[in-house]
Amino acid sequence: MMRKISLTLTAACLTIICFAQDNSGEFHGDFDLNMQSYQKDALIGAEAADEIILNNAYLNINYTKGDFSAGLRYESYLNALLDFDDEYKGNGIMFRYATYTIDGLEVTAGNYYEQIGSGLIFRSYENKGLGQDNAMDGVRLKYRPLKGVYLKGFIGKSRTYFTYSDGIIRGADAEINVNEALNLESKTRIIVGQGFVSRFQADINPKLLLPQNVAAYSSRLNIINGGWNYSGEYAIKLNDPAGSATAEENNYANGNALMSSLTYSQRGFGIVAEMHRVDHMEFRSERAQEKQYIINYIPTLTKQHTYTLLALYPCATQPEGEFGTQVDVFYKIKKGSLLGGKYGTKISFNFSRINALNGGNSFLNDNSEHTPMFISIKGEELYFRDLNLEIYKKINKKIKATGILAKQSYNKDVLEGKTTYGTVESTIAIADISYKIKKGHTIRIELQELLADGGDGSWSMGLVEYTVSPHWFFAVQDMYNWGNHDLEKQLHYVNIDCGFLSGSNRFAIGYGKKRAGIFCVGGVCKEVPSSNGFSLTISSSF
Amino acid sequence: MKNIITLFSFILIITSCDVVEGPYEIDTGDVTPTDTNTYVKKILIEDFTGHTCSNCPTAARELEAIHDLYGDQIIGMALHVSSFAAPHTGSGKFEYDFRTQWGNSWSNFFGISALPSGMVNRIGYPNEHKLGKDEWLAAAITELEKEIDFGISIISDVNGDNGTITINTELLNDVNGDYKLVVCLTESNIINWQKDGTEDVENYEHNHALRTVLIDESLSTTTSYTLGDEIETPITFNLITLEQANIDYSTSQGGAGNAGGWDASNMSVIAYIYDNTTKEIVQVEESHLNN
Repeated sequence: MMRKISLTLTAACLTIICFAQDNSGEFHGDFDLNMQSYQKDALIGAEAADEIILNNAYLNINYTKGDFSAGLRYESYLNALLDFDDEYKGNGIMFRYATYTIDGLEVTAGNYYEQIGSGLIFRSYENKGLGQDNAMDGVRLKYRPLKGVYLKGFIGKSRTYFTYSDGIIRGADAEINVNEALNLESKTRIIVGQGFVSRFQADINPKLLLPQNVAAYSSRLNIINGGWNYSGEYAIKLNDPAGSATAEENNYANGNALMSSLTYSQRGFGIVAEMHRVDHMEFRSERAQEKQYIINYIPTLTKQHTYTLLALYPCATQPEGEFGTQVDVFYKIKKGSLLGGKYGTKISFNFSRINALNGGNSFLNDNSEHTPMFISIKGEELYFRDLNLEIYKKINKKIKATGILAKQSYNKDVLEGKTTYGTVESTIAIADISYKIKKGHTIRIELQELLADGGDGSWSMGLVEYTVSPHWFFAVQDMYNWGNHDLEKQLHYVNIDCGFLSGSNRFAIGYGKKRAGIFCVGGVCKEVPSSNGFSLTISSSF
Repeated sequence: MKNIITLFSFILIITSCDVVEGPYEIDTGDVTPTDTNTYVKKILIEDFTGHTCSNCPTAARELEAIHDLYGDQIIGMALHVSSFAAPHTGSGKFEYDFRTQWGNSWSNFFGISALPSGMVNRIGYPNEHKLGKDEWLAAAITELEKEIDFGISIISDVNGDNGTITINTELLNDVNGDYKLVVCLTESNIINWQKDGTEDVENYEHNHALRTVLIDESLSTTTSYTLGDEIETPITFNLITLEQANIDYSTSQGGAGNAGGWDASNMSVIAYIYDNTTKEIVQVEESHLNN
């Protein structure tokens, strides 16, 4: 039945697109191809692929005319890259939609992505790097009944690889911009929101009483006054046991999450203080405790590093229980001052700390009950800590430099689900220097050092990147694990990349070894296997 | 009016929730023993596991809990695979090698990439067959409702290290298809190391561990079966030879050959028939080796 509906909608989209060619609407699209060869490399634990070459490719086509739009995405996994789940296999049109807006009402049928508030109770999104796509398939309505009042409601099923999970997801959200609604001419702006999500899944468990309709709701508040901005959200998820036959594995406790963020900014200075507490808040499109069913998102409280060794041990958010705080300060030393020099100097300081909840997350069943203290830091198991200082300086018209010093604690056992590694304490230093040789020609050098006893020990990394604007770039990088306690694993991971850009097209080829590790985006992480081989990336848009 | 409709729609959605009050567990009573005079649908749950996989014991407990609900209709098989099953020779822990060539072969064929993971009668192949432990119960309930086309009975006769197993298959309906018969030996009550959460448990009881596959072949030369057909498949074996094959396999995989010590008194015969096109296991039977 689902397949028939899918084919019908796809056909409808294609018909609309064909019809539209004779009209004055606009077509836009983009294409991505990621191809990788895999050779066996016993030293780094890389496996060869039977297919030798694996490939992921995506083509998006969107048509827009006035208040109407429709589109689709063709996906091809022949077969999926090794860092993707192998349930992504084959070809198909996995995203298709049609939407129109009339008299303030927006109607969408087919696939859509949606989020309520910051995502604590619901977030449907895709991220190709993470292999994440939980697009909804159903209908969605958005409506503005009054000035400053924004309503949306949706119903559908959540994508899981090449199919849809059993649960039916219903959601609604109301957001009121108080100033707009009441025509207030105040310097203080207030926005409040209330969201609700419910999942239906039939109860066929003969041993346990299970809720068939599991609800989660959240309230949020945003107050803005001049340079001040407060944002807070509180969410509750009602009883959501896993539905397994083992009674002890079924947790009937309510989950809850609190996020609070206070920001102050003015020209050349900004400070953000944040905290969050998350307790048993993993919400899934099916009861089973499997990552592919997750439909909510707990924003991370740690700085998202881009330099390789700073991101070697990234913090994965623990939706079942963590307490975290973060302070982020930005300051620009003025031009012409002693430290600012001719162009000024930018300084960023960041501190974040994540620990376990007191005694673990909330738990309730017939035989045991536990509710952790609301705030408990001292003596609790440390998950992650990051203290870092970044200085950016434009020295003259040709030279720019960034320097970073960081100290991190990474509880590998908790954050990677291991049992014998403990916590990796590391000290990291980064130097990034960019030199403009002549017009259009820039060379950039990264030198990175990570000193650690635990984990894989210490690393050094060097990168040289040469850019010839606007068409070419070349890069050579070497990661050297010189401090690995296993002498056989004191290896170099060398990568060579070259790219060509022409208009809307980008081509890149590379060759090298990649270490096994954890890759995260916004606190959502996946394990990446080691690999050795060539890569080809092509992206294009129109 | 439109605002009232909007408000009503929101209330409709917002009331869509259930709150369950304890006690949560339902008294299901004792399991009705399986009637041995008639064939009933039985389910094979293949549990891919490893002795250094800290979350795997929860899957083993789930398998036992499902067995407690449905008795002999649920048949378990533990396949030790991946790096989590590699022996840690010389470490004093996790030195035993539970791996088998068949476990590794099936793990590769079915794309088992994370542990614990399992298959319930291999339904859903090729895209939806890998199930997390919390999904096994619902899948088993759905499978138990299916009609059976094949009845399997097992007769085994073991004398010392030599034995004979006879698999009798009876057609309960007219059936067309390419069906294969697999006969395995499993062993329970193996006491050895296992990670369980944060604990390294020395005296963990490993159950249903796959030891060997005696045959994996076409059920018969035909693809057209008629109600009442009977197929007899005799198998002879020597336990010492089979055990040595596992020891040799361990050595070939970088282990130390620490894969012996089989105890025939704790072994079972599992025989199952699967559709070679869909890979679905359509019927399975289990019997103690020394029956």
